[in-house]
Formats: sequence, C-alpha cells, structure tokens
Amino acid sequence: MVPDFLTIAEAGALIAKRELSPVELVQSRLTRIERLDGKLNSFIRVLADEALAAARAAEAEIIAGGLRGPLHGIPVGLKDIYETKGVPTTGHSKVMIDHVPAQDATSVRRLTEAGAIVLGKLATHEFAFGGPSFDLPWPPARNPWDTSRFTGGSSSGTGAAVAAGLVLGGTGSDTGGSIRGPAAFCGLAGLKPSYGRISRAGILPLAFSLDHAGPMAWTAEDCAIMLQAMAGHDPIDPASADRPVPDYRASLSNEVKGLRIGLIRDFYETDNPANEVMRQGIANAVKVFEGLGCSVRELRLSPLADWAACGVMIMLAEGYAIHEATLRERFVDYGEAFRDRMALGALVTGGDYVQAVRRRRELIAEFAAAITDLDLVITAAAPSEAPTFDSVSKFAILERPSLTMPFNVTGSPAMSVCCGYTSAGLPLAVQLAGKPFDEATVLRAAHAYERATPWRSIRPTLLPS
Amino acid sequence: MPKDKGERIVKTQGMTRGEVEAALARAGLEIPEREKPEIAAAAHFIEEMAARLRRKREMGAEPAHIFPPPGE
Repeated sequence: MVPDFLTIAEAGALIAKRELSPVELVQSRLTRIERLDGKLNSFIRVLADEALAAARAAEAEIIAGGLRGPLHGIPVGLKDIYETKGVPTTGHSKVMIDHVPAQDATSVRRLTEAGAIVLGKLATHEFAFGGPSFDLPWPPARNPWDTSRFTGGSSSGTGAAVAAGLVLGGTGSDTGGSIRGPAAFCGLAGLKPSYGRISRAGILPLAFSLDHAGPMAWTAEDCAIMLQAMAGHDPIDPASADRPVPDYRASLSNEVKGLRIGLIRDFYETDNPANEVMRQGIANAVKVFEGLGCSVRELRLSPLADWAACGVMIMLAEGYAIHEATLRERFVDYGEAFRDRMALGALVTGGDYVQAVRRRRELIAEFAAAITDLDLVITAAAPSEAPTFDSVSKFAILERPSLTMPFNVTGSPAMSVCCGYTSAGLPLAVQLAGKPFDEATVLRAAHAYERATPWRSIRPTLLPS
Repeated sequence: MPKDKGERIVKTQGMTRGEVEAALARAGLEIPEREKPEIAAAAHFIEEMAARLRRKREMGAEPAHIFPPPGE
C-alpha cells in the first residue's frame, strides 16, 4: 500500500532501496487523481498510459542497476505552458487548444532524463496571466485545503496537485509571483530560481525579461532535487546563464547558524498590509531563524509600489507584444480576465516601457547594495491566506502592489515556504530571497526552517469527488 | 530612499472613458461593449504606474536591458 502522501526524497529513497515500485507509485497517483481531481480540477490532461509505460521502463532500468538518481520513477505534473512533444500544450486557452509541440521544453527533457515520470498537464491561469477564470475550456483548479478557495496563480494546477498528493512535484512559472503565490496559498515550497538558471526554451512566454521557470513541491529538499535536474545552461534560451550548477541537495546539510538575514517589514506592514495572522506567522518564522543562530535586522527598500509599477509595466508591454496579433484577430477567444487585463497593455507607450526598464536598473542596483552584507531577505509571500474565489477581482494584480514582484524585477532567487496555518487550517507563508544564483542558501535556510517546525507534517484532508 | 515610502498606488485624474476606448480601438481591439467600462475604469492604474516610473534622471541613465555585443 503506497501512502497517500510522500515527498520526492522519501519516495526516491524507497525506490533506491527497491522497497517501492515506480509502477505502484504511479498507479497509486493515477488512482488518487481519479478519486480526488473531480473536485480539484488540477489536471487538464492525464497521461495515464504514457506514465505507466514510463514507470515500467523505469522499474526495469532500476532493477538492472541503472538508478539515475532521486527523481527516477517519481511522478510529476507539468504546468500546461511547458511544451511536451506530441502532447497538446494549450496555456489553458481556447486560443492554443490544438497546439501540439514537436519537442519537449528543455526543462521537461531534463526532468525526464533524470527519470521523472510525467503524469499529465496541469491547470494554469490562461497563458500564466488571466484568472481565476470560469470561461475557459477547463475550469480553474481549486485549493485542496478548502475547495471554495483560490489556489493562487498562475501555477494553480501545480499548487493544487502537489498539495493534494496527486503528484510529488511539479513545474511552475513565475513572472510576478506565479510559483510563490500558489505555493503560499496551497502550503507548498515553491522556488523561483535566478533569472537564467532554468531554461525558458519551450515554455509559453508571458514576459520575456521577467519569466522564470521553477519547481514546486512539498519541501525545500524536494525543490532542490527538482532544481538539480532542471537547472543548467541552454544555448537555445538567449537568457540562459552559463554558470556552474552546485549540488543543491548536498548543500542543504550545511550550517545555517550565522546567516545574516534582512527583514523587509515595510512591504507587508505598510505597503501591502498583511492581515494579523500572516504577520504573526512571519514574526514566528523570524524567531525560528534567530533560534537557529541566524541574525535578523530590518531592511528598508523603495516602496513596494515602485517595484510593482516597474514589473507590471514591463509585463504588460512584453505580454501585449506577444499576444497583440491574436488579440486583434480573436479577442473573445481569450477568457475575459486575460483579455481585459492584457488590453491595458495597449495603453502602455514606448516611453513608459523604457522608463520602466530604466527604473529596473535602479532597483536592481538598490537591492544589490542593500544585501551586500546579508545572505538572505525575508518578507511576506502573500498578504493573507487563500481568499475565496468570489473575492478575487479581475484587476487584483493592479489594485495592491505584489509582494513577490520585486524579485522578478531583480531576477533574484526567491521562495515561498509554509510558516503555519490559520485557525481554519489554511496555510500561511513566508518569502525568502537571496543573491543572484545563490539558490543554495535560500534552499538551505528553507530546509532548516522546515526541519525546525512541524508544518510539513500537516496535510490537507481530502474527500473523494 | 524616496520620500513617499509606504505610499500605495493612488488614483489620478486620468484618461476619460472615451479616450481609453479610442486608444483601444486604435490598437485594433474589438472589445465587447459590456467589458469596455471595466477596462476604462482600470486605465488609471496604468497612468499611475507610468507616473511613478517617471522621475528626474541623468540623461544617460541606462535601461536594464542594455547588453554586451555577442562574443564579448
């Protein structure tokens, strides 16, 4: 009997010891999807036959002594903006409903080469931007902790599927917080690596200079395992960084004592005020880090609205350029949330865009200077626990400055980590961010925090569909 | 650090609904009548963000996406 919930690290260890069969593991997830996903809508396409065939091949390879590593035989899901050879990749949109790629995205190829088994394609906000939407070819994913609540977006299906134990890990993308938002609302670990760390090749773009691919999983350790497979230079992606990829999992065991952390309190106390329970969760997390031997001091940056304005204007301008022709030809084939938000891109002038990119240079320099003598920063990942669907407005991303956008603007690694639960059992989250290409320190701190707290032992209670 | 630390995005006197609709029509977007008022009502966010990004800078203040020539 395969447990309902397993981390990648746990399952990988059992597979390596031949105490867990990849076939049984994949079959158990397919059964779980069948039983639960009617309520969650996290998958838009389940690849059952392909996954079972891959699991049988993995099992045979492992039995023959060919274990590839900790992802071998591990079932994962892919946000449906990651291109998959021969399998439709739609962006959760009518506009690309017949799009069948000829190649896998580079990151997908790397995951499968590491032995991961793709269970299917996961729901997303339309083209990683519009949503939550009820007027698309598939319904929006629902939060496993309370299905009346929003998963966060845009990696909504990945957030729901990992939290529900339908997959052990999944891919997300993050242009303004689309990994960290759903990770926060669904109680996961979600890492947006440095810009350039994971190839964007074969991932449907939203905004070229802000788009980041990354892993979402139950723990920081699992994110480290996935990042190890996904990271690395890719000459096909012009933004891909040609830098060494450290051993992320090995670095988790390094000491966190002595880490210097900056607390950006203004972001969530004045600029986009978090509710009391979230503030308390962050305050408690700070105490845990201090208890682990880290030093924490206050850090002040430009107002959050500056970071948000910079990121949103770049996102709208670049996104509008990508979708401009199709918006003109097929406006109503997009969902209402996507098309009405993206229409605002038509109001952004060339001058506005260049001013945003000039501001970006200033903000990148400001952040680099501010963390010269720090290893990490902490702030909120979201201002509250997951809201109900009916309380999310069409222009929510414009109404309050995003707490996650600053690290898309800087391209720094940033991660959402569960830091407790509300009295109603909904996850809370804290955001950790580090220096460019220092994912290892972010992951190490997150891992130490998870081990020092009980939050990873709490899973959602799910009722069959 | 700017003096407006902590300021939220504030509403400005911006484009009229007619001006927004004209701009969207010039862009070639055929927007359903029902959605036009909502888009027009959100246009102030763009104006406010654009205003926030405009500040006194040296003429030579470079954008972030200036790149080294290939091969450098």
